[in-house]
Order: sequence, then C-alpha cells, then structure tokens
Amino acid sequence: MENNGNIRKNSKKAAKGPNQRLRQRTAVLIILILVVGFGAAIARLGYLTIVQGSSLQEAAVGQQLKDTTIPAKRGTIYDANGKVLAESASVWQVVMAPIYFENDEQRKAAAEGLSEILGLDYDNVYEKTTQESYYVVVKRKIEVEARDKVLELIDTLSEKYDCGNVIQLLDDYKRYYPQNDLASCVIGFTGSDEQGLEGVEYQYDDYLSGTPGRIVTAKNARGTDMPFQYEQNVEAEDGNNIYLTIDETVQSICEKYMKQGIVDNNVLNRGVCIAMDVNTGAILAMVTVDGYDLNDPYTLPKETQKKIDALAKDKQAQAESEALSAMWRNKAITDTYMPGSVFKMCTASMALEEGKVNDNSTFTCGGSMVVSDKTIHCHALGGHGTQNFVQAICNSCNPAFIQIGQLIGMNKFCQYYQGFGFSQKTGIDLPGEAEDSFWAEGTMTDVDLAVASFGQNFSITPIQMITACAAVANGGYVLQPYVVSKITDSDGNVIKNVEKKVKRQVISKETSDKMNEILGYNTSTAGATAGYVAGYKVAGKTGTSEKIGSKVESTFSEDYIASFCGYAPADDPQIAMLVFFDTPSGDAYYGSQVASPVFINIMSEVLPYLEIKTEYTDSELEYVDVSAGDYTGMTVSEAETAAQNDGFTTTVKGEGDKVIAQIPSVSSKIPTGGNVVLYTDDTSKSETVMVPNLVGYSASEVNSVASSYGLNVSFSGASDTGVVSTSQDIAEGTSVSPGTVITVTFSSSTTTFND
Amino acid sequence: MAPNKRMMLKADINRIYDDEYYSEQKIKQEKFFVRPSRQRKMKKTKWFAIGMGIDLPFCIIILILLTIGTIMMFSASYAFSYYTQGDSYYFLTRQLIFIAIGLAAMVVMSFFNYNKLHKIAPIVLGISYLALMIVLILPGDNGVKRWIPLGLFNVQPSEIAKFAIILFFAHWASKYYNKMQFARYSVLPGVIVFGTTALLLFLEPHYSGIVILGILTVLMLYIGGMKTKYLFIGFVLMVGVVLILAMTGGLSYAMSRMDGWGQALIYTDEDMWQTTWQTRNSLYAIGSGGLWGLGLGQSRQKYLYLPEPQNDFIFAIVVEELGFIGATMILLIFALLVWRGITLSLRAKDKFGKLLGIGLTSQIGIQVVLNILVITDWLPNTGISLPFFSYGGSSLIMLLAQMGIVLSISRTANIERQ
Repeated sequence: MENNGNIRKNSKKAAKGPNQRLRQRTAVLIILILVVGFGAAIARLGYLTIVQGSSLQEAAVGQQLKDTTIPAKRGTIYDANGKVLAESASVWQVVMAPIYFENDEQRKAAAEGLSEILGLDYDNVYEKTTQESYYVVVKRKIEVEARDKVLELIDTLSEKYDCGNVIQLLDDYKRYYPQNDLASCVIGFTGSDEQGLEGVEYQYDDYLSGTPGRIVTAKNARGTDMPFQYEQNVEAEDGNNIYLTIDETVQSICEKYMKQGIVDNNVLNRGVCIAMDVNTGAILAMVTVDGYDLNDPYTLPKETQKKIDALAKDKQAQAESEALSAMWRNKAITDTYMPGSVFKMCTASMALEEGKVNDNSTFTCGGSMVVSDKTIHCHALGGHGTQNFVQAICNSCNPAFIQIGQLIGMNKFCQYYQGFGFSQKTGIDLPGEAEDSFWAEGTMTDVDLAVASFGQNFSITPIQMITACAAVANGGYVLQPYVVSKITDSDGNVIKNVEKKVKRQVISKETSDKMNEILGYNTSTAGATAGYVAGYKVAGKTGTSEKIGSKVESTFSEDYIASFCGYAPADDPQIAMLVFFDTPSGDAYYGSQVASPVFINIMSEVLPYLEIKTEYTDSELEYVDVSAGDYTGMTVSEAETAAQNDGFTTTVKGEGDKVIAQIPSVSSKIPTGGNVVLYTDDTSKSETVMVPNLVGYSASEVNSVASSYGLNVSFSGASDTGVVSTSQDIAEGTSVSPGTVITVTFSSSTTTFND
Repeated sequence: MAPNKRMMLKADINRIYDDEYYSEQKIKQEKFFVRPSRQRKMKKTKWFAIGMGIDLPFCIIILILLTIGTIMMFSASYAFSYYTQGDSYYFLTRQLIFIAIGLAAMVVMSFFNYNKLHKIAPIVLGISYLALMIVLILPGDNGVKRWIPLGLFNVQPSEIAKFAIILFFAHWASKYYNKMQFARYSVLPGVIVFGTTALLLFLEPHYSGIVILGILTVLMLYIGGMKTKYLFIGFVLMVGVVLILAMTGGLSYAMSRMDGWGQALIYTDEDMWQTTWQTRNSLYAIGSGGLWGLGLGQSRQKYLYLPEPQNDFIFAIVVEELGFIGATMILLIFALLVWRGITLSLRAKDKFGKLLGIGLTSQIGIQVVLNILVITDWLPNTGISLPFFSYGGSSLIMLLAQMGIVLSISRTANIERQ
C-alpha cells in the first residue's frame, strides 16, 4: 500500500521523487546520528561529569594519591618550673612496599641489608618482602645511626638492583623520660603507638597526642611519583604541652627520703608521699615508691622477676602481668587504707565545729573503753588518765576520741565524713582513683562509730586524706586536688589554665585556726615531737593503723600502716604532706617512728626550697647553719680574720703562706661556730680523720665530739633539748678530710609511741 | 494490480535512468584524475571555492579535528609512552608521520575522480575479503587476529572492510537504484555481503567491527532505497532476539560476559575487577574532568591508570583534561563535520557520489557516538577508535583518504550548486 502511494506521489512529482526520498532518508539519518546519537553521548558525558563527577573523582583520587601519615609530635610534659619530664624525640620507621619488587634477587638484597642494619631475623624480613602489599612496617622507632644506614641501603638498592623505591623512611617519634623513674606513677608512660597508658599520659592523651598529618602525593599506577608536582601536605598538629603542678625538686626530695624510709623500715608494700598546696589543691609532689623506670616500664625489679621465674611456666605470664600492674599502680590514689589516728584531726575538727568540745572539756582514759559490750583498747595500756581536749589529741588517746565521737553523734559524724570529701572521689585528674569503703547508710553501729572516731575500720585513699587535711588547715575549704596546672599548644599559647576549685567549706575558719594551733602544739611540744622541723611551725598528726583482714606479711603480729599527715607553717599553712608506709617490717611500725622522720627530713628540705619563712627559737639559733665563705687565695691571717668574722673557728694545716683550699667548701652549710679548715699546701690536704660515732648523743654532746675530731656537724630534725641523735649521714669509721660537714638527725628521746 | 505495477515501474525506471543511471561508457571516457590544467581551461581554478574547488568548510573542520586530535593524542600518550617505550614522543612522532601520509592521501584523493571508484567497488570488496582472510592465517596476538603487519604500520582489515562495504553498496544502490525496493536487490546482497564479512570478523574475533559493519550496511541500504518495511522486520527480529535473551536470563549473562559491560564500578570479584579496569578508569577520568576539566595536560588517569590512553579511550582523557564543556565543543565540531559532509554529499551530481559521501561521513559520526558510549560504559568495551584522535596508522590514513574522497565529491557538488 505504501508502495502504491509512493508511486502515485512519484507520478505526480516525478522529477523530484528519488531525490526527495534520499533527502528524507538522509534527514532521518542526520536525526539518528546527530540528534539521537550525539545527544545520547553528550547527555551521558554530562551525567558522568556533572552528576557523578564528584564521586568518580573521589574514587579516582583515591587510587591516584598515596596517603602517608605523618605522626604528630606528642606534647611535652613539664614540671611546675618548666623542667621537662616527658618529651618526644624524632625517630624513624622503616616501611616498604614489597609489591614493587620485581625479582627474588632484589628481595634477598633488601632483606639482607635490612636484617643486618636493624638487627632483625633475615627469614622474617625476607617473608615480608614477598608480601603483595604496598605497606609493610619493617621496624619502628629507629634512631639516627640506623636511619643513615638505611638511607645508604636505599641508595645501594637503587643503584645495583633498581629498586630504591621499595624501602621508605617515615617520621616517627619516641617518648623519652629524662628523669627516669621520677614521679613515675603520676606521669605514666605511652605504648608503642605513642598512646598514653598510665598517669597523666593516659588522662590527658587527647591533649598530648595531637592530630596526625598527611602527605598526599600523586602516584602513577606503579606507585612512583608522577612527573608533575602534585603534593598536598596536611601538617601534623603537634600535641599540646602539659605543665604539672608537680615540682621536680620537691618530688625528688620526697622520693629520696621515701626510698630511704622504705629501706630503713623494710617496708613490704610500698609507700606514698603526697605534698599539696593547701590553698589551691595543687599537688606539688606525689610519690609512690618504689616507682619504675618510665623509659622501660615493662621491666620488673630484679627480685620480683626472680620470683616469677621461679614459678611454674604456665603461671608466669599471669604473675608477670599482675606484677606489672601492681608496679604501675599509683598507690596514692588507687589504693585505700585505714587512716588511723591521722583521722583524729578530722574528728577533732567536727567536735570543735559542732561546739561539742572546748579547751576545758575533759576525757578520761583507763587504757580501754567498753562500747556496746565490746572492749576497745588504747595504745597506752595503762591509760592516759584525765586529759583535756588538746592533751587528748596530743596523746592520741583512743578512748578520748571514742567519747568525742559519741559527743558528735552518728549522723553528724557521717555528714562531716561526707563534708570532708571522703565519700566521693576527689576528682583528681589522674586515672584509676579508688572509692572509699565506709558503712552503708543505716548500718553503722555504735561500735563502728567508736572505732571510726580514731580512723579504724573504714578505708579511704591517701589523696582523700591529704585533701581533708588541707581542709583542716586552710580554713575549712575542701579543694579538688589536681596535678595539671596549664596546657599550652605547641606554640606556647595557653589553652587551658587550671584554677583552684573549692568544693565546699566543711569547717569554719575559727575551727581551722584552732586546729592549726592544737596540731602545731602537738608537733612542737607533745607526743608528736617526731614531726618537728627546726625553724618552722609544723602541724601534724601521726597514725598507725592496723591492716585488718590482710594476712600478716611483716615481722609484727599484725600488719600496720605507719603514716604521718601534717602541714606547715602551722600559723599560715602553705603545704600539707602525707607520708605513709604500707606494712613496715623493720624495727618499728609506729607512724611516729617510721613516717615522722621521713616527714621531717622532707619538710626540712622542702620548706626552705619553697622559701617559707623560718622562725627560730633562741635555742635553735645556736644551731642554725651558715654558709661558709670563700677564703682561698687569701693569706693565712686574712683568711683567719675573714672566717672568724663569719662566725667560724679556723684550723690552719700546712706550711704555706696562702690558703689554697678549704673544708667545708664555699657556700656549704655549717653551724655557727663551726670549724673551717684552711689548707696552705698540698701535702696537708691528704690528711684525713675517721668519722666517730655521733648517734645517741644530745646536740651539745654531738657538737663537742665532732669538734674534737675537727669535723663540722649540721643538725637535722629537732635539735631542741631532750632529743638524741638518731642517725648520721656519713657512717662511723669513714675517712674524711677534717672540717667535713656531717649531718646528724635528731628526734625526741622521750617519744611516747602514741600510735 | 500486478501488470499495472510493472508498467508504472518501467516508466519510472526510464526516468531515473535518464537522470541518475551511470553509464559505464562514460566512466571509460573519463580520466582517472581531473587535471587542474584542464579545469583551468574550463573555468577559473578555485581550490577552496565554489566550482571545481573542494569544500572549504569541510576541509577546515577536518584540519581542526586533526589538530585537536593530535594534541590530545600527544597529551594522553606521553606518560604511557614514557613508561612503556621510554620516550614520551614515541606515539606523537609516529602519528605525525601517519598524518603526513594521510594528508597526502587526502589531497590525492580529493583530485581523484571518485567516479572511477564505481568500477573498482567490487574489486575493493574482494580485496577486503582477501585481507580479512589473510589476517586469519597470521599468528595474531593473544588469539586475537585483527592486524596485518606492514612494516611501518599495521593494517586493520576491518578498516578496509568498512570502506569496502560503503563503496560497494554506494555502487550497488546507484547501479540498481530502481530495483532497490525489491528485497533481492537490497536485502539479499546486504545479507550476503554483511553475512560473509561478519563471519570473517567473528573468526578474528572483532565484534565491534561486526556492529559497525552491520550499522553501515543497514545505513547504506536504507539511503540506497531499501524499503522501510525490511528495516522494520530486521528491527523487530533484533528486538525479539534481545527480548528472548532477556527473558531467559541470557542477556545479563551475555552482558557480564561482554567484559563486564555496565559493571565497571561494581566490585563482584577480583577477575572481573581486573577485566573492567580500563572501563572503570575511563569513568574515573571522565568524572574527574567535571564541568571545566583539569586543564590541558593535567590528566592524572593517563599515568598508567588508564591502559593505552592513546587508543580507543583517548576521549576519556580529553574529558578529564578539558571537562564536559571542552568535550561537548569537540563533539559539536564532529557534528558539524557530519552535517557538512552529508549536506555537501547531497549536492553531488550523481547518485553514487551522494551515497558514497553520505556513507563515508556517517561512518565518522557513528564511530564517534559508539566510541563515546563505549568509554562511558553504555556499550561493551570492544575497541572502537575515535576518528582523528585515536592513535593508529592504517585507520588514520584510511580515514584521511576517505575524507579526500568526500572532498572530491564536494568539487562536483559545488559545481552543481553553481
């Protein structure tokens, strides 16, 4: 039919027919090719470039770009004075892209070189070279020398084997702790990926770690750089620096004496010392001894390791991990203990604040007291007789405090317990803080109240105790303790400044002042003479608590915790300090015998360092140390005059005219009236004297013995009347030059070992 | 109806004969080349002008495309060239040689009297068959036999076959234009010629060649005067086959077998991921181009991500560097070429010239469209090169020679217009 139509059409317009058809069909063709075909092509291209463009580009970029992570430099940890405690240093990591190896010869050469330089097993490295991977870590944290050798190896490989692109060095960082074990439990350490694992390193990991950067380079499909420049660097954002409230000097003083205390008293279960600024809550020192070397945190002490090695093989791994976590444990905040008599400062504050007692209140002690049919003994078995309130504290009399506790009453006692912050974590910015263990509401009995009054049968953490002690001292303000004072970014701009945080006022200023007076009196005159530091008014309270429920480890019939908690100066408290030893097993276990001497030693160094004003009594002045001047280079007579003007006696040794040396040396501390030995020739310098025994004498006796030997003595601890020397820093029988200063420590000869 | 019909046709045929039929006698009288000296005597010689001159716009479009194409070929190839040949200019220098030869061939062909081709059309078809058979004997590359190595460059028999089929059907349809409405003059030779060629290509194998040849055959027969009815029948048959395949689930199987057609961005398994590598990276390149492109020479995908970026997938790099805008401009220039080529061919003085010109120009348009659809994953990855852009000796020389024929046709077309 169509055909007929065509013919008819053709016959009408015969001339145009075939051309017309060709034109029509060509038009169809043009439409098909140009409109449909090109239209579809352009539409498809438009869809891919514009609609799908970004996602396709992303995928393309993903394969074109090689992304290398640049580790961020971890922030530095400083002490309060800007001394570095933890720092990251540049090291390198060796990585390779074994997929680019073309033959076994290359693999062997690379494996040989790497295993030799990095001290790795050849087979292990060779196995890595056979992996079909773009990224294999060969070794991390290599130092400069190894890096230089690896660079040489890369050159050699590219020259000889044409595979220099396989091995690469990437920046890395390694954490160094210049002070080794100092404040180890506070600072903590980092893991292999620089992540904080303990202490401040863990707590402030987000601040310290920074943001890793990236180097994005364009790579061709073979993984080498493209010939044109295409590199995008996202700089690593270095971590923030952290300034601790810890003062490195105070910390090391504390650690020195705490370690000595551990040795002297054969302490089995470590010791804790916390020094706190009573007005801010800033921790000046936090010691857990023994600590561990932060640069090597996975190595146990030799004795512990020996014990573990002696165990059966299958138990070693568990024992080791337990020993490690015990070693890392920050006993100052993670372990709880019974505060014992130290807690009496809180009980006394409550009673004063509530007006239940005054200076005239009297308490009678017959050596024991019966509460609800239960007999509770005092440490003085014969009893303290009738005492007033202050005496009760100084005697640390348990029956008196049972009575004080009864006066306060159970409700008020619990309220104050909470008020002093024992029922909550202190919120110190360190990980792993433990909670107290106290009677649940309504379960406390009269007996419980009685023993709680003198700090027994409930457990708190050392940090809670020092915080409460600070509250007693500072006018009643319960503070939040903290170890980080400031956070700065890598350019030094301050990001965060930690301010003191007062939680509440638990007792009034008047009560606090009264407590300062009583506790100051306690250390200077009464039972706790052991807490006395010459030249300073120190307030404090000893404590000896039984470790109920724990098995006996010590030589005593029961395990004890010996502690001392005090602060100075008593009339204007600045620094509070808690010293406690867990399970002493030496000659003594009382707080006054074990903890107090350590407290005194620390305080007598820390207080001058903190430039806290001294207030000597006249008798003390006699023993005040003076700095020796420089007398060398003078003629003998000049030197003698000069030394005498400085308040010293002189001894001239040798035949020369001029002083060529002196002992004690320039600026060393010697007591007023001490002897300065002036040497005038070399032969005289070789003269020595044997150090005599200076222990067990009174101050004046020590002085005369020492001077008879031509030695100087520096007095440490209470040098008041009625004290005897208990130790000397240079042992008897040691040969020393004449004039050498020997430090002699004193403590009360008439110490009543109140718990 | 029947006798009447025949009568009517007779009259019709006579008229067509007078108008269109090409006399073999006439061909014999003509010289092989139109000598410029003779032309000068007849008329003022104009190289690029109306009357005996070649078509200036068409010629310029060719040169523009050739220039852009060569620049892009260099841009796309230099990284690949550097990594594989150790010389960034390896492909460029060769391509420039081919262009020189091709342009010479184009100029020669533009002076060649295309009517001479009438006589040799069956011979060219014969040569095409011969080449297609020779290539099957040769060892080939990875079981694929598409090339006949000829020293400087390789000849692709399918390129010859495309030209041969266009030439043959232009010859056939102009010779039997009056009988083209009969199936035995249109459908039958179409099936025979295409069928045999397709069979030879199938053995290579070269499926995209079959597709292009099929389209060209239908196109030539259609403009040659084949009844639309047969076109519809063929179309219906094709749709039917596809539908049956789709219903039996064979289509998706076939699609997945066709080198992961349409699945370049979907990860199924490692083998398929590797197979679709080229198409996927082509898509990445196109997508990376965005609207404005990364800038000339700034392609990243050419750095070994897109394999052989100078060949079939060159346009992906073009899009990456010049963006959607640049790519569209280039496609518009192509469209202009096709438009100009077809319209000038329509003005040719004889049927043969018209059909040959339209066929040769359409072939470019079809190749461009198919190429774009392949690189955008709308058609399977089957090796369809982009005219003027893709690297390749025989195809470029063939292409330019064919453009020379169109230019030769344009000379007569312009006379007619005058």
